[in-house]
Amino acid sequence: MPEWLNILLRSIGSLIVLFFLTKWLGKKQLSEMNVFEYITGIVIGSIVAFVATDLDGSVFHGLIAAGVWFVIPFAVEQVSLKNKTFRNITQGKSTILIQDGKIMEDNLKKERYSTDDLLEKLRDKNVFRTADVEFAILEPSGTLNVLPKKENQPLTPKIIGMTPAPEKEPQAVIMDGKVMLEPLANLSLNTNWLETELDKMDVSIENVFLGQADSDGQLTVDLYDDKIAVPSPSEKPLLLASLKKCQADLELFALATENTHAKQVYQINSQKLANAINLISPYLKS
Amino acid sequence: MTVGSQVKACFSSLKSADATLGILANKTQSDQARDAFSDVQKIVSEVKDDLQKQVIRLSKEEPQYKS
Repeated sequence: MPEWLNILLRSIGSLIVLFFLTKWLGKKQLSEMNVFEYITGIVIGSIVAFVATDLDGSVFHGLIAAGVWFVIPFAVEQVSLKNKTFRNITQGKSTILIQDGKIMEDNLKKERYSTDDLLEKLRDKNVFRTADVEFAILEPSGTLNVLPKKENQPLTPKIIGMTPAPEKEPQAVIMDGKVMLEPLANLSLNTNWLETELDKMDVSIENVFLGQADSDGQLTVDLYDDKIAVPSPSEKPLLLASLKKCQADLELFALATENTHAKQVYQINSQKLANAINLISPYLKS
Repeated sequence: MTVGSQVKACFSSLKSADATLGILANKTQSDQARDAFSDVQKIVSEVKDDLQKQVIRLSKEEPQYKS
């Protein structure tokens, strides 16, 4: 067998082996790996490279070496999935650096963290005042995770007592001018619906670069021709506006009429409608 | 515009809102949204029914403006 053919076969073989080894070792990103996993990856890579180019060495020996470097980390990973104590040893434990707003000096020393390191890591998380921190923990991977004090946390709808409407993921129903049947079926819609909606917007499907439909059946499109203005969905804002107008009208009628019975009817209904608007407005705001 | 026609206009807006709510309730995929839409549709149609009685009463009071 000529040498070049040998190298070709070895390279292709080792490429395939390497592909499967890395696949089985998992999907962790480089930054999430601990030192051990990182080195394991490099070693497997160099063993395989060695097998591919060193014609004097035996392929079998190389495979044994790569196998050992694969099997042991794999076994360690499997066991540590099941066993917490073992996991603490192999993957390390996290260290609390700030608790109840107080810096744990002993833990800092244990992790060989200087005050500057701590401040730098906190700044990484956009915290410039340690007094703003309730809790900070150093993960085994070396990242510091910070829980700010409640008053320094970003405002969420829950805090101000709002109940926003739940939102499902939109589906891309048109891509590059072609109808995607599966996403349409996911929303239990069909091509007839799509044609009607496009007709309403007065655009042809060939001109649509991307079209998305949300779970409420609203279609938004982006066109190839960016000079054409596309109307945005108006059904829900219009409905909200007309409900509000009706409510205001009822209030007006209640004020205008002199018939006590009619006044009462208008007032009650205006109140009912106001409640309804409160209920529905999270769903109608997009 | 007489009061009667104003109330009539309000009544027809409510009718359209009622129908739109029905469409939205049928179109949405989320159970929570469907419940909200149909609850509100119920309230709106109650208001609509009350208003319809009012429209009838007013058209009796102002027969000269009957259209």
